[in-house]
Amino acid sequence: MNGVSPEVVAYLAAVRAALADLPAEERDDLLTDVRASLVEAAAESGGNIAARLGPPEEFAAELRAAAGLHSSSAARPALPDLARRIAGDVELRRLAPIWWVARAYVAVAALALVLGLHWSRTYVVVPRIGTGTIGLLAIAAAAVLSIWLGLRRRSHRLAELALLVAAVPVVAHLAHRPTPPTRVVYIEAVSYAPGLSYNGAPLNNVYPYSRDGHLLHDVLLYTGAGTPIDAPPGVPDPQRRVVRTKAGKAVFNAFPVRYYEPGTHRVAHPDASPPVRIPRLATPALRSR
Amino acid sequence: MERSQLLKGALDAAALAVVAERDGYGYDVVRRLRAAGLADVGDASVYGTLRRLYRAGALTSYVMPSDEGPHRRYYGITERGRAQLAEAREVWADFSRVLTNLLQTELEVTA
Repeated sequence: MNGVSPEVVAYLAAVRAALADLPAEERDDLLTDVRASLVEAAAESGGNIAARLGPPEEFAAELRAAAGLHSSSAARPALPDLARRIAGDVELRRLAPIWWVARAYVAVAALALVLGLHWSRTYVVVPRIGTGTIGLLAIAAAAVLSIWLGLRRRSHRLAELALLVAAVPVVAHLAHRPTPPTRVVYIEAVSYAPGLSYNGAPLNNVYPYSRDGHLLHDVLLYTGAGTPIDAPPGVPDPQRRVVRTKAGKAVFNAFPVRYYEPGTHRVAHPDASPPVRIPRLATPALRSR
Repeated sequence: MERSQLLKGALDAAALAVVAERDGYGYDVVRRLRAAGLADVGDASVYGTLRRLYRAGALTSYVMPSDEGPHRRYYGITERGRAQLAEAREVWADFSRVLTNLLQTELEVTA
């Protein structure tokens, strides 16, 4: 209030306090008239308003009576009146911006609930309007709008009430929402032995049979990528019968692996094999063309 | 009889008459009522009356920015307000005529 003397401000505050039980809209409208008039009255009376208008409480009582608004002492304030009186309290009024932001969030969140939108997984309080970022922006935009409305004292009681009611499902939704799952990923420290293994157990031999049940020798096995399946590669056991290329290079993927008799290059029982029953295969053999 | 008691009942009509003449804001109406001779009209009574008439639909209101201070809420009369004013005029004319006669007679008797 530019150029308004402290006397006017104090007088106005006292009148406002005396009318604290009135609906905010009604009181503000009354005070708008009073404020403009006080400024002029102050100018005319040389600043001493109380001398000209009487004590603010009497002024307020006269204002109330003339406006046909029931006196605050006439009836015990009903619950809404009491709530209004608390809401009208100067200290609580300072908290109004918190509600402005809160109601903006409630509006967006309630809309998201009604539309059945998904909610951000990382920031569980943010609805995904397409993306979580847009949801966050929508909340921010609503907050700006709400604060703007709040500062301009534009309020619609029914809308406020609706938002308060809408806050219930929103809070319920947030309460039931799990916090972002702390995803614990267990990575097993797999130390795998080099060479072949089958279901985790080391594999030191493979016995290939033909479809008609004959044990095959020196069958070369490869993976689908063409990598030789060596068992076990590296430094050869001196007793192991290693198949070699013409150039003398050791081939470790020839199965079954055989061992020499100690001190010889002779495999005692070349056809020795584990006790297996070869099933009779009915599927015709593939023939290469 | 106290003037203020009389005024209370007549303030609606007085305020309507002032606003009907020309739109005015609260303090302006107070000033014009005083200038018309109602020196002891209370500021608060006038503001309250204006608000009540406004709520009853007898007045409209609009806000005008003011160079000197806060914005002013102007009041103008509505059709309903004019009807109310016309009715108040009739009632007052009738009432004052009766009362004038009554008081006059009493004066004559005592005189």
